[in-house]
Amino acid sequence: MSTPATVEPSRLDLDAPKMPAAASVAAMDAPATLGRVGTLWRVLKRKPLGLASAAVLLTLVLTAIFADVLAPYDPLAAQPEIRLAAPSRAHPFGTDDIGRDVFSRIIYGARISLWVGLLAVGIGTFAGMIIGLACGYWEGRLDIIVQRVMDAIQAIPGLMLALAIVSVLKPSTTNAMLAIAVVIIPGNSRIVRGTVLSAKQNPYVEAAQALGSRHPRIIATHILPNVTAPILIIASIWLGNAILIEATLSFLGLGTQPPTPSWGLMLSSTGRAFMEQAPWLAIFPGLAISIAVLGFNLFGDTLRDAWDPKLRTRG
Amino acid sequence: MHKYVMRRLLLAIPVLVCSSLIVFGLMRVMPGDALVALMGESGNVGERELEKLRRDLGLDRPYHEQYLLWVWQMVSLNPGHSIFTNEPIPVALRKAIPVTVELAVLAMVLGLVIAIPVGVLSATRQDKPSDYVGRVVAVSGLSLPDFWLGTLVITFAAIWFRWIPPLGYTSLWDDPWRNLQQFLLPAAVLGYRLSASTMRMTRSTVLEVLREDYVRTAWAKGLGGRLVVYKHALKNALIPVVTIVGGQLGTLLAGTVVVETIFALPGMGRLTVEAILFRDYPVVQTNVMLVAAVLVTLNLVVDLTYAWLDPRIRYR
Repeated sequence: MSTPATVEPSRLDLDAPKMPAAASVAAMDAPATLGRVGTLWRVLKRKPLGLASAAVLLTLVLTAIFADVLAPYDPLAAQPEIRLAAPSRAHPFGTDDIGRDVFSRIIYGARISLWVGLLAVGIGTFAGMIIGLACGYWEGRLDIIVQRVMDAIQAIPGLMLALAIVSVLKPSTTNAMLAIAVVIIPGNSRIVRGTVLSAKQNPYVEAAQALGSRHPRIIATHILPNVTAPILIIASIWLGNAILIEATLSFLGLGTQPPTPSWGLMLSSTGRAFMEQAPWLAIFPGLAISIAVLGFNLFGDTLRDAWDPKLRTRG
Repeated sequence: MHKYVMRRLLLAIPVLVCSSLIVFGLMRVMPGDALVALMGESGNVGERELEKLRRDLGLDRPYHEQYLLWVWQMVSLNPGHSIFTNEPIPVALRKAIPVTVELAVLAMVLGLVIAIPVGVLSATRQDKPSDYVGRVVAVSGLSLPDFWLGTLVITFAAIWFRWIPPLGYTSLWDDPWRNLQQFLLPAAVLGYRLSASTMRMTRSTVLEVLREDYVRTAWAKGLGGRLVVYKHALKNALIPVVTIVGGQLGTLLAGTVVVETIFALPGMGRLTVEAILFRDYPVVQTNVMLVAAVLVTLNLVVDLTYAWLDPRIRYR
């Protein structure tokens, strides 16, 4: 049976299972999560940059959810008589080449970016976690083969792999999302595998094995809690990257298709063509992408500082 | 060392085989035949030409034969023709590769020239205004999309300085000045992105090293600040930085895709994007495989260099 006493002290507050194996995963995870939120809150209070990033992310999420309410105009409604209008009180970010309100399009664009980011990272993280758990727990031949496959996927630069996948499927938001998920899997599986390998060394895992607990139960109750902190940190950093890749794919014409308002697409379709006459068409979508990605990067850094000081030196 | 080199070489082979299977499989997810048919639908290729194309590409054969044929083509450096331009792929690559190599090398150099001094400065003045500026610059480098930065740089160069980089590509040997004008902005955009993580890594390793005993000894001996930082601390701090730079080769190659598209440089990246847009899959699979092979090789070289620099690694 695992007791906190068997865990090294430095990890107590982070990722040590805090209840005996008999408790359910959900019940066991609850106090640990509360502890983590507490640690995060303490770090956030000390780091103004972290707090600012949390505020940016909250704004982003609320914007995406309440886009219908917040956007002053229909993002698809063209008003040719006011095409390429400069920013004004009526249209704070100006209008594009067919007279659509850029501000409203950016608000709706938050939805696409966030949706793609969350789903891609969700799928990629989940798949990576399952693969990493299986490889790290059972090791052996399966592990060797899977690791080579992961190496092979990582040998192809992420963006290029995503491009190739999208080109084979068909350029669309959903396919861009799937492509990004595939890109995320190898790195995540490796981190989970590493954590599992070290978690397995803990005496409480050995004890559970000796007591005859079944593998799924050992994984769920003893191994999984060790994995959640690194997974959440990596996921938050990946979210920024996923938004960036989606924007890049859309910019290259291989992601979201017109007329859907996507930040990357707005930049490539009209932003570049009218850059000199109407710089706002390129400046605002680019700023939106940058702020969102910056928010996730800084928040990821803060999570890392709060939950896993050991990861801090890894760039 | 020999044993280590052999082991690493043997590990690289299955990775390459796996990569080739992934690339090949990917191109067959939508069966090649359907791909060719799609080209027919688009009206670019006639029915009889399609038949010939299928035969030429070996699409009428079983998958394993197709795969072996393709691997043989890659190994014998004869990957066939582009479906679209009908140009032999090696000819296209011979034109594109020097562009990308020049861009990548220049970007890497610019990136290091920005990253290392700023990283050191950030570390030696920890938590002072210059440190904050340095860190914000670094995190921005990770967050600003390179296609946005590229677009802004082109526009504002045109608006403010009434200057537009000469379009297209002139070889370095024909006209070095024109070549530099074409490459400087794209390399700077790419270099800035690369410098971000190098800067962060330099900062954190220099901070770590500055707290070591031997650095304190150097201070105690009464050595000057610059000498301590650059001669004693930086040398050791740079070892992990070398690995990070090695690990960035992928980012660098992916970055060229975007930057070449924006700055209209006819390199590997643009060749690949165009091939993807036109579903020119012999070119796509050749280029992606080539990039994977180059990356695996370069990573191997970086690892071996690292092992050579730091003997402890060989015994792990």
